[in-house]
Amino acid sequence: MASKILKFSGHNYFRQRLILAILSGKPVKIDKVRSNDSDPGLKDFEASFLRLLDKVTNGSIIEINYSGTSVLFKPGVITGGTISHDCGTARAIGYFLEPMIALAPFSKDPFNLIFFGITNDNVDTSVDIIRTAVMLQLKRFGIEEGLELKISKRGSPPLGGGEVNFKCPVVKSLKPMQFTDEGRIKRIRGIACCTRVSPQNANRMIDAARSDYEIYYRQIMTHLTCGTRGFDIVKPMSPTWKSNHICNRSPGFALSLVAESTTSALITAEQAANPGETPEDLGKRTAKLLLSEIRKGGCIGSSNQWLMLLLMVLSPEDVSKIRLGQLTAFTIQYLRDIRDFFDVTFKIKQDPESNTLLLTSVGVGYINYNKKTT
Amino acid sequence: MDTKEHKAHRPRQSGAKKDKKIQKQQKIKEKNPKAFAPVSGRKAEKLARRKQELIQKKLHVPLVDRTPVEPPPIIVSVVGPPQTGKSTLIKSLVKRYTKHNLTEIKGPITVVSGKKRRITFIECTNDMNSMIDIAKITDLVLLLIDASFGFEMETFEFLNILQVHGFPKVMGVLTHLDKFKNNKTLKSTKKRLKHRFWTEIYQGAKLFYLSGIINGRYPNQEIQNLSRFISVMKFRPLIWRNTHPYLVADRVEDLTDPEEVRQNPVCDRTVTLYGYLRGTNMKPNMKVHIPGAGDQYLADISILPDPCPLPYKARKSLSEKQKLIYAPMSDVGGIMYDKDAVYINIPGSFTKTDDNGGPGEKMVISLQDASDTLASKLQEASLSIFANSVPLKASDLNEELYDVSSESTDNNKLQRNRRRAMFNDENDENYMNNELNESDRRAALTKYEVRNSEGNVNKEITFVESDGDISSESDEGSEDSGSDLDGALRWKSNLTNKAENMFMANRRVNIMQLIYGERTPDEVAYNSLLNSAQDTMNKDDEGPLKSEEDFFRLANNDAGDIKILKAIDSSKSCFNIESLDGWDDERMLESIRNRFITGSLEDENPNELNNSSDNEDDEVCSDFEDLETDEVIKAMQSEEAKKELEQEILTQKRILLKKKFDAEYDNNDDETKVEFYDELKEGISKQLQLNREEFDDDDPHTRVMVEGFRPGTYVRILLKGMPCEFVKYFDPVYPVIVGGLLTTEENLGFIQVRIKRHRWHKKILKNKDPLIFSLGWRRFQSIPIYSLNDNTRNRMLKYTPEHMHCIATIYGPIHPPNTGLCAVQSVSRDNIAGFRISATGTVLDINHSFEIVKKLKLVGTPYKIFKNTAFIKDMFTSALEVAKFEGAAIRTVSGIRGQKSEGHFRATFEDKILMSDIVFLRAWYPVMPKKFYNPVTSLLLSTKTKWQGMRLTGEIRKDLNIKTPINPESRYRKIERASRRFNPLHISKSLQAGLPFASKPKLFKKKRSKPTYMQKRAVVLEPREKKVYTLMQQIQTLKKEKDKKRKVKQSERREVHAKKSAKQEALLAEKERRERKEYFRKEGLAQKRVNNSSDEHKSKKAKI
Repeated sequence: MASKILKFSGHNYFRQRLILAILSGKPVKIDKVRSNDSDPGLKDFEASFLRLLDKVTNGSIIEINYSGTSVLFKPGVITGGTISHDCGTARAIGYFLEPMIALAPFSKDPFNLIFFGITNDNVDTSVDIIRTAVMLQLKRFGIEEGLELKISKRGSPPLGGGEVNFKCPVVKSLKPMQFTDEGRIKRIRGIACCTRVSPQNANRMIDAARSDYEIYYRQIMTHLTCGTRGFDIVKPMSPTWKSNHICNRSPGFALSLVAESTTSALITAEQAANPGETPEDLGKRTAKLLLSEIRKGGCIGSSNQWLMLLLMVLSPEDVSKIRLGQLTAFTIQYLRDIRDFFDVTFKIKQDPESNTLLLTSVGVGYINYNKKTT
Repeated sequence: MDTKEHKAHRPRQSGAKKDKKIQKQQKIKEKNPKAFAPVSGRKAEKLARRKQELIQKKLHVPLVDRTPVEPPPIIVSVVGPPQTGKSTLIKSLVKRYTKHNLTEIKGPITVVSGKKRRITFIECTNDMNSMIDIAKITDLVLLLIDASFGFEMETFEFLNILQVHGFPKVMGVLTHLDKFKNNKTLKSTKKRLKHRFWTEIYQGAKLFYLSGIINGRYPNQEIQNLSRFISVMKFRPLIWRNTHPYLVADRVEDLTDPEEVRQNPVCDRTVTLYGYLRGTNMKPNMKVHIPGAGDQYLADISILPDPCPLPYKARKSLSEKQKLIYAPMSDVGGIMYDKDAVYINIPGSFTKTDDNGGPGEKMVISLQDASDTLASKLQEASLSIFANSVPLKASDLNEELYDVSSESTDNNKLQRNRRRAMFNDENDENYMNNELNESDRRAALTKYEVRNSEGNVNKEITFVESDGDISSESDEGSEDSGSDLDGALRWKSNLTNKAENMFMANRRVNIMQLIYGERTPDEVAYNSLLNSAQDTMNKDDEGPLKSEEDFFRLANNDAGDIKILKAIDSSKSCFNIESLDGWDDERMLESIRNRFITGSLEDENPNELNNSSDNEDDEVCSDFEDLETDEVIKAMQSEEAKKELEQEILTQKRILLKKKFDAEYDNNDDETKVEFYDELKEGISKQLQLNREEFDDDDPHTRVMVEGFRPGTYVRILLKGMPCEFVKYFDPVYPVIVGGLLTTEENLGFIQVRIKRHRWHKKILKNKDPLIFSLGWRRFQSIPIYSLNDNTRNRMLKYTPEHMHCIATIYGPIHPPNTGLCAVQSVSRDNIAGFRISATGTVLDINHSFEIVKKLKLVGTPYKIFKNTAFIKDMFTSALEVAKFEGAAIRTVSGIRGQKSEGHFRATFEDKILMSDIVFLRAWYPVMPKKFYNPVTSLLLSTKTKWQGMRLTGEIRKDLNIKTPINPESRYRKIERASRRFNPLHISKSLQAGLPFASKPKLFKKKRSKPTYMQKRAVVLEPREKKVYTLMQQIQTLKKEKDKKRKVKQSERREVHAKKSAKQEALLAEKERRERKEYFRKEGLAQKRVNNSSDEHKSKKAKI
C-alpha cells in the first residue's frame, strides 16, 4: 500500500525534493549528503528548513541518520497556520520563503509565516523580488486575495535581524495558465534599500542604475522609481520580537530591479553589496544584470522559472503553456524532479525566431486535499 | 462544448396547424396590450426579479467535460434483482444492434450502436461487491424491476450506492408485465411503481415498460424504442470520473511463464488487462487500484488498435459490416477466449462423438485431446543424461535462446494462424506485433525484463539492439523513460514511418532529451543551449554520439564553476561578472532595444519577437500593433509590396474595428443576461479547444510522455506481481476495474467523514464496530469512531444518532474532500434479509491525527471539611494521579466550584461544601482511532460472495457463544432517596449581635402553647375611652336595627310585585290562547273549503 520511496543523492536541490515530496505525498530518501566533505552531513540551514517543514505539516516523519548524511522524509499533510521561524544567518529568508510559496496555496489553514533573518543577500532570492515579482505570478494561477508579504524589518548579512511576514490564502485548485506573449518592456522599477549606512547610498545606487537605461527610456514610458530606502530610520516592528532581536545588525545595501512588459511579464535582477563596494558599482552591476536577463527573453526571469513550472504541473488536467528564455541548471533539475515525483514531462519546443523555449504541460489535476469542507 | 448548428424549425405552410396559429395571433391582436402591462413600477421590478431568478435556477455549475472527440463506448449496465430479465434484455439489445444471438453473457460486451456511439453492456449480479463496482463505472443504468412482484431491496440498495458515487443516468425498465391478466390492475400497478420510482430519482424520470417475451427476447418494437432512448442519452460529467483515469477490463490474460507456475503454483502472476481508457489521461507509471484485488503499479501500458472501431464513413445508417460486436469473454461469433487460448467453435460440421471407428480416427481424436501443442510438449520433455542427474529440459535450453533468437519459431507460426482468426482484420502486421501469441509474448516479456534489469550494466547490448534500426535518439530516450516494451516490440513494423516521425521530431526530442537526459543540469545549462541558433543546428547534425563525447570534456572544462554552483541550493542563477562588461558597449545595448516598448522592429535581430503575428488572441494592445505595422511599412523597399501591405493593414484594422463595435453594441443584451456564467463556459471551452489542438502535430511518443494515454484508446495494461488467485479464480461475471490513483491517493491517513445511518437499516451502528466502506475506487474495511462536534470539541459517541448526521473518523487511503461514500456491514451473501447499506456520507477532512475525546468523570466524596477547603477521597488511587491533576477544576453537585490544590486530596471551593456533597472532576480523555485498513479482496476468492473481514463485536460473541457482558454498575435500578432531615440553622450569639439586619433569628421565636402575659392580662378602660367605646357600640346597634327593618320592608314589596306580575302574565296567556284558537279555526275552515271544492270537482268529473 505504501508508495515507493524515491531516492536521491547529494545535498543539492534539497528543498525542491522535500517540497515535491510533500505536494505529491511520496516519501523521499536523500543520501550522500556531503558524505565526502570534511564537514559531512546536513548543514544548520538545511536542518532549519526541515524544522520549518515539520512546523507547517502534520504527521511528517523525518529520519536523519547518525552522521547526518542521509535523510528519510515521509510527508504529512500541510496544515499551515501562524508560525514563526528563525532562519539563522547562514542563508537568507528567501531560501526558506521560496518553497513555502509553492506549499501555501494547498494548506489546511492559510499560511501566516513570520521569518527572522537576512532579507537581502547575494546567494538567495531577496524578499523584495519575492514580493514584487514572484508573488505576482501566483495571480496567473488564480491566487489573488489575501496574498501578502510584509517586510517589517531589513537585515543584511552577516548578522541579519530582518523580519518578514508572509500570508497566503488557501485554494481548492489552481487555474491552468497560458503565458506565451512576453511583450515589450514598458517600465523598470526597483527597490533600493540600505541598513546601517547613510540613506544617501540608496539614491546613489538608483542614479547609477538609471543611467544604464537612459538609452531606452529617452522617449517615453520607462522609468525607475525608488521604492524604499533608509530602513534604519523606519520605526521598529512587533514588540514581542523587539526584546531579543535588534533591527539592522549589520551594515549593507542592496538593489533589486523588476522590468515589467506590456503583458506584465516580470523580469528581475538583484544584487547586494559586497564588502568595500560603492553604491554606484552595485547600481551599474544590477542594471547590467537586468539587461542580460532581458536579453535571455521569456515571460519570467530565470530565477522564478521553477515556480511557474511547478504550478503549471499542479493545475487541472488542462494544457498550460509558458515561454521561457534560457533554462538555468536549477530549472532543469526542477523539471527532472517534477518528472520523478509527478510523472509529468514537459513538451519543450524551441522557438527559433525569438530564441526562446515554449514549455507545455498537462496538469496532474491537483486539488487541495487538505482543505476542509463543511 | 461546441455549439452545434441545429436544423432550423420550418413552420407549417398550410393545414389545421397553420389556421390555428393564425387564429391565435388574431386573438392576441384583439387583446388590449395595456391591460396586461404591469401598472406599478414595484410590480414590474418584482416580475423582472422573478424572471431572473428562474433563469438563474436553470443554471448548473459548469463542469469541464473531458470526453475526447472519439469517446470510449458508454457503459450501460443492466441491474436488477434475480429473475427480472437482465440477460434477456442484453440479448435483445445486442440482437437489435448487431443481429447476433448471444448464448451467454460473460463480461462486458461492446457493440457499435451508431455513427458516433458505441455501447458496452455489463450485467450486474446482486452481489454487493459487483453492485458497488458497477455503480462507480456505469454511465447509464437500466434498472430492471419485476412489475409482477414490485420493488425489491436490491433496487433501492443499488440506487443508494449510485447516489453517493455521483448518480449517473438511470432508466427504469418494468418487466413481467404479461403476468397481469387484469388490465385495470396493470394500469394501477404501473402508476404506483412509476410514482415510487420518481420519488427515488426525480419527477418524470423515464420508466420503460417491456411486455412479454417472444422467442426468448423482448418484442422488437419495444427494444427498438429503448435503443432509441439510449442513443439520444446525454451524460453530465461526474466529478470523480472526470478527475481519474479508469478502465473496465474486457479481457484478462495471464502471461506468467508456465514453467514458473509449474514450479510454484502460487507464484505471483504477470497479467495483462485489455480495455478502453476512460476518464482522464492515464500516465505510464501510474499506480492503479483494482477493486477486489488491490493496488498495483502499471508495469507497462500500450495502445492497441481498436477492436470495435467507429465507422470511418457512415451514411445515415450503419451497414452490416460496421455493426461490430466485441465480447472476448462471452461466446461470440464462435470464438471463445479462455485465459490464454482461443477456441473456435464450428457448430455442425465437426462434432466429437464417442463411437469412433478405426484406429486412425481414434488417434486423431486423441491428438485433439492433447492439452498442449507438440512444441510445448517437446519443451516439457526431459532427458536425464545420467541416472542420478536432474532431468534436462528443452525449455531450459530455449529460454537462454530467447534473447538472441528471433521470435519466429515453428510453433509460433502454428499459433499465429489460430490467433489471427480472432480479429479478422486486414492489417495483420499490426496484430502480429500487438497481439503476440503466447510464446511471443513470453519472449517479449523476458526480453523486457532482461533489458530492465541489465539496462545499467551492459548498456551496449541494448544500444546495439536499438541502433540496429535507425532509431538512434528517440529510442534511447524511450528506453530512458522506461515505457518501451511496446516500442521495442514494434520497431520492425513500419520503419519508414518511424524514420519520418523521428526526423520531424528530431529537433524537439533533442532539446527534451537534453533536458531530461543523463547529463547534469549544470552541464546542460552551461552548454550554451540556446545561445545561438547555429549551435543547436550543429548539435542536431552531430547527433548523440558527438554529444556523448562532449560529455566528459565539457564537465572537465567547467569543473571549477560547476563545483562552486553545486555547493549552493539557490534558484538565483550564477553569472560571470566579466560577461556583464559587454553592456558598456553601445551596440550591445542597441541589440535589445526592441525588447523595450520604445524600440522598433526594424532591425533583423535574433532576439526579435514576432508575437503579435503568431499570437492568437491579440487583445493585448491594438494601438501597439498599429505602431508596429507603421514601422514595418517604412522598412519595405518595393512600392508594390508596400501597397499590398497597406491593404492588408487596412483590412486588419477594419476587422478589429468591427470586432470592437460588435462587442460594444451587438451582444449587449445577451451578455448582461448571464455574463458570468457565459464567461465561465467560454473559458472552459477555450481551454478544451487548446487541450485538443496542442498535441495535434506531435508524434505519439511525445504525446504519451507529456499527456499520458488519452481516454477512448484501447490499451493493454501489464501488471506484475498479481496474486495467483486473481488468475486462478477469475470469473468474467464479476467486473475487473482498473482505477487510476492520483499521487496523493496512494497514501494512508485518517479521514473524517460526515455520515448518517441509512433510515432503512435496521439497527443503529455501534462505535468501533468494523464497517466496509466504498470510497473512491476502493472497498475497504475500517474501524470508524463516531463523534459529534459541539463547537469546542469532537465528542465520541457510543452509537450513531438515530436520525442525524455524525462524524466518523476512519483510517484508510486518502480521498479528496467531498467524495461520497457508502458503508455496509458485510459484503457476503449471508445476511441478505434487511437493507444492506448501513450508512452514507461524504469526506470532510484529511489529517494524520484527529482529536476525538470522551468524557471522563472522576467522582469523590469529602471526608473532612474545613471552611472553604475539604479533603476528598476516592477520586484517585495514587499520589501520582493527584499530582497530574493538580490545578484542575472540580465541582460539586450543588454547584460550588472548586480547584484542586496541593497534593493530598485537598481541594479549595468557593464556599464550604457539605459532607453529603459529591465532588467530581470532569475531564476529556482523548480517543485514538485504530489504524485498521483491510481492503476487500473479493476478486481473489473462489466464491466471490464469501468475503469475510473482521467480524462485528456481536458476531464474534454469537460465534463464540459469549453473552454480552453486563456491568451491574451500569444497570438501571430504582433509586431510593431518603428524605433529608435538615438540622436547624444555628447562629451564634456573637454573630447575631454583629448582624447588620433589622430582622434577626431571635425575633422569629415559636408561638407558645400557653397565652402570654400580654394576651391574658385584663384591660381597664379610661372613662373617656369607655365613652367613646359605648358611643361607637350604640351607633353600630342602631345601624344594624335600621338595616334589619329595611330588609323586611323590601321583601314585602317584592311579594306584592310578584303577585301583580303573575296576574298580568295570566292575562297575556289567555289572550294568546284565544288568538291561537281563532287562527286554527280559520285555517280549519279554509282547509275544509278546499277539500269541499275538490270533492265537488271530483264529483263533477265523475258526473261527466
